[in-house]
Amino acid sequence: MSKRKLTFSIFRYKPQEPDAKPHMQTYQLEEEMGMTIFVALGRIREDQDPSLMFDFVCRAAICGSCAMIINGKPKLACKTLTRDLPSTITLMPLPVFKLIGDLSVDTGTWFRHMSLKTESWVHTSKKFDPKAIEEKMDNETALEIYEAERCVECGCCIAGCATANIREDFLGAAGINRVGRFMVDPRDERTGDDYFEVIGSDEGTFGCMALMACDDNCPMQLPLQMQLAFVRRKIAQAGLKAKTKVVTL
Amino acid sequence: MFVQKTLTRNPKAELYYDLVELFSGFLLVGFLWTHMLFVATILLGSELFNNLSAGLDKYYLSYVGIPFIILVAFMHIFTAGRRVPTRYQEQKIIWRHAKMLKGTDTWVWVFQVITGVSIFMLGAIHVWVVVSGWPIQAMTSAERMHAFWWFYIILLILGEYHAGFGIYRQFVKWGWFPRKPIGYISKLITVIILSLGIAALFVFYTMAKGGGIV
Ligand code: SF4
Ligand code: SF4
Ligand code: FES
Repeated sequence: MSKRKLTFSIFRYKPQEPDAKPHMQTYQLEEEMGMTIFVALGRIREDQDPSLMFDFVCRAAICGSCAMIINGKPKLACKTLTRDLPSTITLMPLPVFKLIGDLSVDTGTWFRHMSLKTESWVHTSKKFDPKAIEEKMDNETALEIYEAERCVECGCCIAGCATANIREDFLGAAGINRVGRFMVDPRDERTGDDYFEVIGSDEGTFGCMALMACDDNCPMQLPLQMQLAFVRRKIAQAGLKAKTKVVTL
Repeated sequence: MFVQKTLTRNPKAELYYDLVELFSGFLLVGFLWTHMLFVATILLGSELFNNLSAGLDKYYLSYVGIPFIILVAFMHIFTAGRRVPTRYQEQKIIWRHAKMLKGTDTWVWVFQVITGVSIFMLGAIHVWVVVSGWPIQAMTSAERMHAFWWFYIILLILGEYHAGFGIYRQFVKWGWFPRKPIGYISKLITVIILSLGIAALFVFYTMAKGGGIV
């Protein structure tokens, strides 16, 4: 079987260069056995254009740094095989995140802001005793937490979300999923009121319009629809009960 | 911290908006489907249709119902409409985004907005015409539909589309059921109501043409 010739159309733009203009550049490449987009990009950078910028670390769908728009869909470059794609492949950087250059974006700042905003740590009044035996957690709860924790912070759900594309402060599926993770954690002592305060607004739960691009595109197949809906129901209940603090002068 | 935001913040506002969007939507879907079932009574003969109309009139259901539904419709427009981007750049972002992603649900939402706006305009005309030709009688309806059948077909399709997908999206959003089966069920109901509507339209149309009561 003869090898396919692949044509890559890649977004090029380095915002720090004063005269640079965004444009698409094409490269051609022979397909190899089991080639991923990440491998192909490496070939292009090595053999054709050392100035091409893109991110990767683990090459095994663990670190989440290689996400990009591949033929219109947000995907992990290291997990996407060229044989599953037509011979013309268009690559764009993820929208919403700050563009560093070409295909490389800064997801780190966004996710750090999200973690701080959702206060992604177990809130407890208990003193930690390093000598005590660890508290037990039932298996079901542990699995539920684990399911949400599988998020690799790649940003595909954020880039695919129409709301996040126009609302900079929207925490997106990754953020709402994060809150859901702490809601099921029995060690976290936060109340419904506390959670409502964090995401009971258009920045969080109520900003989501259920367009499900997150659910369609999460490379880790997190059950985002159900997670989003779970948080929405919890937050609505908490909100209806919450004592509101409206400031009046 | 911003003074203007701190002094005006109502933490529950967006929760209420969301709930009003949900309930007004459900009421409107319920109304639309009952409305179409009432209209479809013409399939069983114009006598039943006229009696039903007169009955609703007699117990003032029409007089309470119509203003109530108009009110609910406005609540729905305000709460659901707040999502619609008004700035040109935002609209363009959404449009590009939907084209790029080819995500069905993102397109569904874009069409929800377009159909929503169209329903608002056509619906207003429809209500105006019906109310000014009060009471509802099989024969007057037949004449209207004979002359403006295309108008009613468009309104019917837009309405059913908007309602069917709207209800699907709310179920998805609140997660009462998984995505796939809900998609099938809402499509099925939409098809049933749509065929009832078109059948009724056809009966009215031939009625007016034949110039007589069936
Ligand atoms: S939820 Fe999925 S798509 Fe979103 S950041 Fe996590 S792994 Fe990526
Ligand atoms: S369901 Fe849609 S609006 Fe909500 S977070 Fe996912 S992509 Fe965004
Ligand atoms: S390189 Fe780590 S997820 Fe692709």
